[in-house]
Parts: sequence; structure tokens; C-alpha cells
Amino acid sequence: MSDPTESQQPKRGEFAQAKGEVILREHEYDGIQEFDQKLPNWWLFTFYFAIAWFVIYWVLYYHTGTYRTDQQKITSHLVQIEEQKSEALAATLSQLDDQTLINEWATNPEKTAAGEAIFSTNCVACHAADLSATMSVGEQKIPLPGLPLNDGQWKYGAKPLEVFNLINDGTPADSAGHNGARMQAWGQILTPEQIAEVTAFIISKNPKDFGL
Amino acid sequence: MSTPASRTTTITYDDQSVRQFMFFSILWGLVGMLVGVICATQLSWWQMNGKFLEQLTFGAIQAEGISFLTFGRLRPLHTNAVIFAFVGNMMFAGVYYSTQRLCKARMASDLLSKIHVWGWQLIIVAAAVTLPMGLTRGKEYAELIWPINIAVALIWVIFAINFFWTLAKRNEPSLYVALWFYIATIVTVAMLYIVNHLSLPTSLTHSYPIFGGLQDALVQWWYGHNAVAFFLTTPILGIMYYFLPKAANRPVYSYRLSIIHFWSLVFIYIWAGPHHLLNTSLPRWLQMLGMLFSLMLWAPSWGGMLNGLLTLRGAWNKLRTDPVIKFFAAGITFYGMATFEGPLLSIRAVNQLSHYTDWTIGHVHAGALGWNGLMAAGMFYWLAPRLWKTKLWSTALANLHFWVGLVGILLYVAAMWTAGIMQGLMLGEVAEGGTTLKYEFVETLKAIQIEYILRSFGGSLFLLGFVFCAINIWKTARSGQAHNDTVEVAIPEEKMDDMAIKGAIFNDPLSYIVLGLVCLCLWIFLPPHGDKVALILTVLISIKAIAAFRKDTRSWINWHERLLYNYLPFTLLVAFAVVIGGGVQIVPSLIVNREKNVEGRLQELYTPLELAGRDLYVSEGCYNCHSQMIRTLLPDVMRYSRAGKTDDYSHLGESLFDHPFQWGSKRTGPDLAREGGDIVQGAKYMRSGKRDNVWHYNHFMNPRQTSEGSNMPNYTWLFEKKTDFKALPNKIAVQTRIGVPYPPMNQHEINDNARVQAAEIAQSLAAAKVLPPAGAQNLSGDALANYLADRQVVALIAYVQKLGTYRIVEKEDGPGPVPLDPDSYRNARNPAPQTQKPDTAAN
Repeated sequence: MSDPTESQQPKRGEFAQAKGEVILREHEYDGIQEFDQKLPNWWLFTFYFAIAWFVIYWVLYYHTGTYRTDQQKITSHLVQIEEQKSEALAATLSQLDDQTLINEWATNPEKTAAGEAIFSTNCVACHAADLSATMSVGEQKIPLPGLPLNDGQWKYGAKPLEVFNLINDGTPADSAGHNGARMQAWGQILTPEQIAEVTAFIISKNPKDFGL
Repeated sequence: MSTPASRTTTITYDDQSVRQFMFFSILWGLVGMLVGVICATQLSWWQMNGKFLEQLTFGAIQAEGISFLTFGRLRPLHTNAVIFAFVGNMMFAGVYYSTQRLCKARMASDLLSKIHVWGWQLIIVAAAVTLPMGLTRGKEYAELIWPINIAVALIWVIFAINFFWTLAKRNEPSLYVALWFYIATIVTVAMLYIVNHLSLPTSLTHSYPIFGGLQDALVQWWYGHNAVAFFLTTPILGIMYYFLPKAANRPVYSYRLSIIHFWSLVFIYIWAGPHHLLNTSLPRWLQMLGMLFSLMLWAPSWGGMLNGLLTLRGAWNKLRTDPVIKFFAAGITFYGMATFEGPLLSIRAVNQLSHYTDWTIGHVHAGALGWNGLMAAGMFYWLAPRLWKTKLWSTALANLHFWVGLVGILLYVAAMWTAGIMQGLMLGEVAEGGTTLKYEFVETLKAIQIEYILRSFGGSLFLLGFVFCAINIWKTARSGQAHNDTVEVAIPEEKMDDMAIKGAIFNDPLSYIVLGLVCLCLWIFLPPHGDKVALILTVLISIKAIAAFRKDTRSWINWHERLLYNYLPFTLLVAFAVVIGGGVQIVPSLIVNREKNVEGRLQELYTPLELAGRDLYVSEGCYNCHSQMIRTLLPDVMRYSRAGKTDDYSHLGESLFDHPFQWGSKRTGPDLAREGGDIVQGAKYMRSGKRDNVWHYNHFMNPRQTSEGSNMPNYTWLFEKKTDFKALPNKIAVQTRIGVPYPPMNQHEINDNARVQAAEIAQSLAAAKVLPPAGAQNLSGDALANYLADRQVVALIAYVQKLGTYRIVEKEDGPGPVPLDPDSYRNARNPAPQTQKPDTAAN
């Protein structure tokens, strides 16, 4: 009487469990049946390990001094960077003087081209690509926030190193700025060498002012 | 049923509601995905923010940008439409269909079902109108304004009553696993939604959330993360547990896996919210919980995937013939992939790179398109022939949908991974010398433009697939007749719903769990030494519990079996499981992270005009692209901090009074936390930060004038629309009521204050001879200043120039242990080395 395939079908309920076979649960929900397979071991271990790691990591961080806080880490990094920065600035400045900037940097097409690239990314928003610090809207010339760099006026000093320092440090603290506008300290974003390149670019565009 | 039932009853299921929900899901799905595609193209072409209409209408419309079409306003529409309208209606369709059959009962009340169907659609229409108008609460996936919030809560309660009432009337004594997930969904979403939407109105369309700063961030991502968990995951898992075995005609793989993964999923998920705030100024202990619970969540999530995929054992051959199985198999696979990626992204070290980039966007779309989208389509194709008693109109078209959709998702996800990782790496790349960064922000944005276009293409393919789906379902419906199943069901004789609450609570399994959890919390919160004792107790209780389970397995199993015959105690325990995580994180933070405990930087309060500007910032949805959070990470600090400061990451006190917080979750533009600055010499209120007023003025008028390559929209309407000065006294009154320590000011003082500051800014712009806006082309000097002073752009500039400003609060006794603050114990135990230059000079 028995169907030969039936013996391969999973058994229901307790009987199957006792035999160690795959269990098909007694209950059906709207025709849906459920096996009751064992949990996969690898799955259980991932779960256990994640729980254990919670305890271990918490203990390491809160009960031992193994890790520094984020704030401590970042500050020590930044102190280091600040030192590197002032070293790099000192190193660059030791090789630069007004004459070098004029005679070697501003006449070197590579340096001025690099300076122009930096200028067009960072500076044109306020000083304009033609250094006039204006934008053309139809016939009108509308002033931009920055000072013109082609009008022969050098409000914060006309020597190459003065220009360099102005870019590096931004508008001096004691100055009210231009119509209240103050330039940021580009030394935060550019390396001393890049600032020298921008300076060279500006000099090359104002040959008369700097005696190029 | 194993025992022959003596009495039967005839039931006609309410399949009309299912058809309606399904129709609206497809309709809103198409709308939501279309808006998504538009948003995607806006990131590649700024003209998509309205200017494209000039070409489209042959010049009939002239605009540089149109306010209600900007990314900042459309992106919330996209997310809300896809989550609440598309997946929401799909979930309701699945829940209504399966619950009736699993309970062998018609939905309890036809009236409630109708209110649910139509009320939800009205809410969606209201959202579709208000969001593009810029009416928003400024919190992601919680943008809808307060009157709509109340409507959502009411409709959700109606859904809950209808659902639980149906459970109470069921003719199937035991609850099937799908119903467990529905119960968890209903209970948890109600809790999350209500808490995260607590706010005080200032007008019919505007309100401020009662939480501020880091607490608002914490509550927001407790909600935001668990909206993913309990709106996009648990109900779909329930749907999987019903429709997959039905479609495959195979038994579910493992009942005990269902139990374990259900309870661990609902318990653990809630804790993982802070992983959206890693490396920010959120206290470290919360970040730790967020990360570590996310890792623990991996296995429970995969439990669901395993139970789905392994159920298909013996039915894999159907993969070739049945599109339903194709969609389900691929959907579950995407679920597995997304839930592996989630814990990965929650690791703080990985998150450094991925956060604020498109990697996160790729991750959520693997979930939303892959899991939700494919599961929805599979369910629709299975349901349609049954709901209209016919055959699916075209299997070939369904197969085409599958392949087009799948290619779409893969393109989308791959593009976003590439874009995210590449931008993340570029943002952190240092220049030669190691002291500065190599790339400007906008350069990293330009670098991922190809990926952005690929993403738009992938998204469009997915949308196209859904158009096929809509056609197929429509044709199927037309080829048949709306049909409601009628069945003869046995009235159960078994005992059900007879467990006393006492019996559900006072028993071995639950006592061990509660005791263990109490000790676990004590371990986190007790001061030194106490915490170690609590840890040892937790371990001991766990060992004891395992021993007790081994000894008495049968009675533990029986207890859970009985629980399934008693829906109210079951629901109660689910509620208990989901309340803990949020409670343990949010309540201590509310007590500890307050003004009185803040040391160091404390936020300067906004002046009335700055507050008006801030409301505009929120309303325009600036937070969708700009963060205000410099994380404690080198690339962040190097890019955004000020020169010469070694601790210029964002401190938690700097945004303490921000209602809502605006830390953001994605940087399509740079961070703005350090944009603000000091009061300008000689000015009364006007400030100037990193950039000056003219720069901002030009930037809002045409971002590409100041930042070549920017994809930000032109905000020309800010130069025409007037600032709402009249609303300010009421807004400040509400701010005061929610705890912002404003000094007493009457409405004249508030108005004068705002007017003076606006005049100062407007005069500085006029003096610099800025380009007059279109509406004031002939004005200059004082006339231009008078015109500008009233305009929104001036208020927004006032706000941007205030960002991140603070004063220094010094505490005499220095840092000491604060009760409920694990970090303070730790710092007291390991005092910081004195490398830190204390920031004493107020900004």
C-alpha cells in the first residue's frame, strides 16, 4: 500500500524529531507548511562572535586605556601637521626673497602656469580671471568681493614677499578688509610652494609694478 | 488542520482594499521613481532645476531656476514617495491580503479599511503639494509638516485597530511568522513616528522639533534607521514569509530560525541608529553602541535571507519559468547583500570613507530598488491573477521587467559605489608634503560626473521596468473580473487568547532576559568598578539562562508556542523588545547632554534675522547636500577647520540649540560648519566668516560664478521673495518654550533687531555695488539697500555668516564623572595628555 516516495518525504512533528530526521511541523497556515531545520552553525558562530566582540571592544575601550579618544587622536595629528607646516613655510621662505620671486619664479613659465591654475580654481571668484575683480554683465562691470590685482594699487604692500604673506595669512587681523570683505588664510589650503607660484603668477601679470 | 472541526463558517475576504492599495502603490511608485530620476539628473546638470523648461516650452517660461523643482525640495518628495507611498501601499496590500488568510477572517471593519486606503492617499497628495512648496520640518524622511504628521499618526492608528481587531476575530488560533513581523511593524513605526515628530507649531505650516542639536540627531537617526528597519524591512519579511512559500509551493525552511531571527532582529535593530552619526560630535558611547549593535545585526538579518532562499530548495527549477520566483529570489539576494553592506558601513573606520558620499546612496538603493522594488513586483505578479481571477497578461513582459530592472539596479549600485569610494578617497588625499589636501571639493564633484550619468541611466532603466509592470498589471486586471475569495473555514475549538498577562511576563525565559538586560545596562552606565560587577553578573546570568534552557527546553518552547496563541501578550513583548534600545540611548542623553554640562564651546544664539535665514535654509532643503558637521577625522578637519586651530572639529555644544539639527547626511557640496565668523568691526549684528557677503550674494544668484563646476541650483527667487519678519516674535517664543535660552525680547525689539541686521547686510552689498536682482535692475545705493533688506537672500546670508560660532564656557572643577555618561567615567580614569591647546579665544 505504501507509496515508495513517501518514505523520503519529511516526517511530521515529534516522531521525526525523535528519529533525528528533518521535522515538518504539524501546523499549517493557509496551506503554508514549515520545516524546523537546525540553525546553520556558521550562522550561529557569526552571531556569537558579534556578541562577543561587543563585550570585548567595549571592555577594551572603556575599561582599559588601550585606545585614545577621537579628540586626542585628531589633536595630536594636527599639532604635528602644524609643526610640519611651519617647517615647510620656513624652508620655503629661506629660499625666497623678493628678487628670487621676481627674477626666478615670475619669469619661469612652469611656475606661473602652475600659479595660474591655482588662481583659477581658488581666486577667480573674488579677483576675476583677468585680475580686475569685476564681472561683466552685459555692458556693466560689476565688482567682485576682492581687490583688483591689475590697478597698480597694493594695499597691503607691493613687495613680492608681502604679497606672499598676505595670501598665506589672509587679510591682517587689524584691517577692516575691503568693504568688510576679508580674505581667508590660504596657507590653510595651499602649500607654501603653491602660494609662491600664485605670487609669481600675480607678479608676471604686473611686470611694471614689480620691476620685472 | 489536523483535527476535524465540527463547526464552520463562510468568509468572504476583503480583496477590494488589496486591489486599491496595489493600484496606488504602482501609481505612486511610478511618480516617486520619476522624481528620483529627475533628482539624479539635477546632480549632473544644474539646468534640470527649472531652466530646462525654457527649452521645453520654447521660451514661454523664462527662469534660471524654479523654486519647487530644485533638488533640495524634490529629493524629500522622492524619498517620501518611494518609502511611504510606494512601499507603504505595497506593504498594506500584502498585509491586508495575507493577514485575512492567515487569520481566516475578513478584515474586522470595512469602514476602517476604507478610511485607511483613502486617508493614506490623501496624505500622499498633501505631501506631494507641500514638499515642493518648501514646507518641511527639515528632518530626513520626517519632512512632512505637523498637520500631516497628525493625519499620518491617525491613519496608522486606524490601521492598527483594524489589524489587531482582525487578529482578535481570527479563526486560526496560532499566529504565523508573517503576522509577527506585521505586529512588530505596526507597534514600532507608531512609536518611532510619534517621538521623532514631537514638535511645537509656530503656524499652521511650520513647527520646531522639541529636541535640539545632538539629541535631535540621535532621535532622528533612531527614527531614520528604524524606518528602514520597520517600514522597509520587517513588513516585507512578513510578506516574504507568506508569498514566497505560496509561490514556490514549498514549506518554509526553518521555524526555529524564524523565531530566533525575528526576536533578535526586532531587539537589535533599534540600537543601531547612531551608526548614522559615527565620528561626529555625538558622544562616543552612543557611537560605540551604534557600531557594535550594527555588527550584531548582521546574523539576524541574514537569518531572514536564509529562511527565504533555503525555502526555495526544491523549487529552483521554477526560477526559469515563473517570474514571481525570479523577483523573489533576486529581491532576497539583494536583501542579503544590503544587510551585509550595512554592518560593514557601520564600522567606524569604513564609515570614515563612506559617510557623506554616494556609497550610502548606493547602499540604500540596493535595499530600496533591489529588496523593496523586486519583492513588490514579485508580489504584484503573484497577486494580480488571483485578485482578478485570470492569468497574468504577459509572462514575457514580466521577464523583460525583471531583466531591465536588474540591469538598472546593478548599474545604479555600481555607479554609486564607484562614485562614493572615489570621492571619499579624493577628499582625503593629501598634497605633496602632507600638510594640505590635494583636491578642492568641487574637483571631487567633477570627477564623479560619469558615474552620476550612469546612475541616472540605471535609475531610468528601473523606472522603465516598472512601466512594464504597470502595463502588465493593468492588462491583467482588464482581462479578468475583480474577485473576492470566499472560503469555508472551521471555527477553532482550541483555546486561544487565554493567557493572562501575568503568565506572559512571569516565567523563566523572560525573567532571565530581563535580568540579563538590566545588568547589561548597568554595565554601560554604572561608574567604575560597579560596571565590572554588572558585567560579571551579565555573564553569569547568561550562563545560567543557557543551562536552564538546556535543562528545560520543552517548557521554554511551550511557552513560546502558547505566546503564539495569544496575540496581546505577544504584542506586549514585541513592544518591550523595541522600546529598550531607544530608551537606553535617548533618555540618558536627554539628561546628560544639556547646556549645564557643556564645557568649552557653546553655540551663540541666532539673532532674529539669522533664525529667519535658518528657516529658509531648512525650507530650501540645503541639508540634502550640505553638512554642518566637521567629524573628528583628519580629512574633515584639514578641509574645513580654521588655520592655526588644533581642535576645530565640531563640538557638541556648537549645535546644541539647533531645532532641528542640520548635521546632514550627504555632501554633494562642502561642509558649512565653519562658514560663520565674528561680528564685523563697527557693525551691530552683521558678521563675516570665511567668505564675505558679496561672495554669498553672487553665489546664491549664480553658484557657477563663484565656484566653476558647481551643480547647485541658482536661487534667484531668494532675491525677490520677502523675509517673513512678522512671524519672528512667535518663532522666538516657541524656541524659548522648547528650551533655547533667549533673553526676554518683546515683538518690537525682535523686529527692530532683525531690521537693523538686515539693513547692515543690505548696505554692505549695495556699497560693494553688487549686481541688482532682476526685480530691482535700476536701483543702486540706498534704494538698492532698502530693496535688498527685505529679501530672503539677506536673511540667508545672515544665517550662513553665523554658522558654527560659539563662546567658551569654562568649568572651574574641570571634567569629572557625570552620572549616566560612560565617556566621563573613562576620561576621569584616563585624563587627556596635555597636548591640547585649550581654545580660550572666543571665535
